[in-house]
Amino acid sequence: MDWMQELEKILNNVSLDKSASLISAIDKADQLKEGFDVTLKIGVLRNYTIEGIEPYLKYHLYKSGIKAEVHFGNYDMILQEVMDPESHFSKNKPDLIILSLKLESFLPDYETGNWNFHDVRGQLSELLIQVMNNVSGPLVINNFISPFYSMNGIIGDVAENSNQRRIQRLNSFIEDFAAKNSSQVMLANWERIIRKLGEELSIDYRFWYSSKSPFKKDFLNEYAKVVANIGKILAGKVKKCLVLDCDNTLWGGIIGEDGMDGIKLDNHEFPGKVYYDFQKSILLLAERGILITLCSKNNEEDVMDVLENHPHSLIKRKHLAAWRVNWKNKAENIISLSEDLNLGLDSFVFVDDSEIECDLVKKMVPEVDVLQVPKKIYLLPSLLMTHGQLDTLTETNEDRQRTILYQTDAKRKEASKSFATIDEYLYSLDLHAKIHLVEDQEVARVAQLTQKTNQFNLTTKRYTEQDIQQFGKLTDNAVLSLTVQDRFGSSGLTGVLIAKKENSTGYIDSLLLSCRVLGRKLEYAFVDYCLKYLEGQWSIAKWMAEYMPTKKNAQVANFWSEMGFQIVEQQEKKSIYFLDGSPQQIIDTTFIKINE
Amino acid sequence: MEEKVKEIMSLIFNVDIEDITEDSSPDNLENWDSLRHMNFVNALEEEFDIELTDEQVTEMMNFKLVLAVLKEISPSSA
Repeated sequence: MDWMQELEKILNNVSLDKSASLISAIDKADQLKEGFDVTLKIGVLRNYTIEGIEPYLKYHLYKSGIKAEVHFGNYDMILQEVMDPESHFSKNKPDLIILSLKLESFLPDYETGNWNFHDVRGQLSELLIQVMNNVSGPLVINNFISPFYSMNGIIGDVAENSNQRRIQRLNSFIEDFAAKNSSQVMLANWERIIRKLGEELSIDYRFWYSSKSPFKKDFLNEYAKVVANIGKILAGKVKKCLVLDCDNTLWGGIIGEDGMDGIKLDNHEFPGKVYYDFQKSILLLAERGILITLCSKNNEEDVMDVLENHPHSLIKRKHLAAWRVNWKNKAENIISLSEDLNLGLDSFVFVDDSEIECDLVKKMVPEVDVLQVPKKIYLLPSLLMTHGQLDTLTETNEDRQRTILYQTDAKRKEASKSFATIDEYLYSLDLHAKIHLVEDQEVARVAQLTQKTNQFNLTTKRYTEQDIQQFGKLTDNAVLSLTVQDRFGSSGLTGVLIAKKENSTGYIDSLLLSCRVLGRKLEYAFVDYCLKYLEGQWSIAKWMAEYMPTKKNAQVANFWSEMGFQIVEQQEKKSIYFLDGSPQQIIDTTFIKINE
Repeated sequence: MEEKVKEIMSLIFNVDIEDITEDSSPDNLENWDSLRHMNFVNALEEEFDIELTDEQVTEMMNFKLVLAVLKEISPSSA
């Protein structure tokens, strides 16, 4: 049995209602060593007992094939942990840091009301800044849970300086802090978790007073989910594309039988509004860069007729990156969509009302995440909002234009069919590449590309915006970006090279290209240009580069050889290459105009 | 009930059921620390649909005592 099956078997035994099943499964999963392509080290800074979160964190990460190591800093020693480079916490170099603050520990006498808002906000601000500046990874903070009971009675509760209102103001401050530092800081919204679960399911007063451990398992689980989703995004386990069924998914009823007037989609009726609201949630995702596709057993004209002509259909043809409206097997259709869009199957989320279709897709393409339309149809609108992996840590221009970019790609593909040779086609594209050191407004997109690119990625190192900014500041580091345009339009920022200078050698830390621009030999022109540029800047003529194999990047296994590098060392986890002198352009890329 | 408690202990403390004796306690089970004790309490409460008091939580520090506490709460299932 391979590790993936074994892991799945272990996790399938878990019922989150049964602590024993969870604890035992995590013990077993922790013993699995082989197979994981990502290990995420999570460091927890805290002022109360939060160790109980560990199995939940691990559970949600294991479910995405990520091995997690969780390390807890000493109880209420937050600044000591981060400021001392020799502390266990610092030495452990976590990839993701949780700063978990409980108000009762931060401000032990808060119930009395004898505290000065400005002083406390100042202390909090100081703590947040110190932690942020002293850790090198993304930081998840939380807001506070405002009191369940009024300490000051009915009248006192609404007073300007009541605990309730001052804590809400502290929360606004915390939220502002996260917003202002969004390249590094994310918020785990405790207030929202509490609102959802309530006091009864969240707070364990018994263990709070006896062991300083305030949260019940439902709260820990929700908190862990938020952090795990951030971890998944950092580890590149993101979903990029929705595949939607139509009948009884995008609208109620069957278009082929009920016709345009019979299907339910009216904003003012039930269940029409349910489907209307579901469509709304899909468009919000589209705006954030998730690709929308259809996979429906129908006549294509009927479906397009609804999209274009139904007065309540929010989703239009222009929102779709691709579609398969036919009578073929849905698993085959999804595979064909994945080939067409050049996206891995594990970045797809499939939504369908039919149990049979859902089971078929689960069985034939297990990489695809399958969501079945809830039997309680009124729960449909929140289906995608609670998914968590349809998210990014940054928002970029490319996200907002992604559907258009993919639609242009479809036109390109169509055009390529009319040429006899690939070279003729490439010449016809009139390719222009812009290559330069990363600019401020590009940092978010560059970080996002390092987080999302799996296929053409030589080392698969994931970076945050903050990391990219740091590289940009150091003189012996360079981050170069590639922006591509051709006669069909712009493909946006789609390539990144990160290099460091060590003595007289250039070291290529990262090289990646979005799958959207592959097949146009841009990678050769990009690397050739970057290396020559940096040789001039750094006065060097030797290069070291690496290829680190993952399950996804086999296509670039020989890239450095193709660029004229010699292999010097081949290990299981990485191959090291060396190039003495400038790269020799072996592959003809004269059809690409650079910085013209 | 005894068997169920043994099963839970085996899962939470990662030991074989056969190795659990009357005297199994934090002193001789490596994984029975204060954190897993809380997990253990949760697991017992889930299994038997009970709520343990703080006193009972601190009292049940070996297998024999756990059974005693549970029997005290619901003598019928003993």
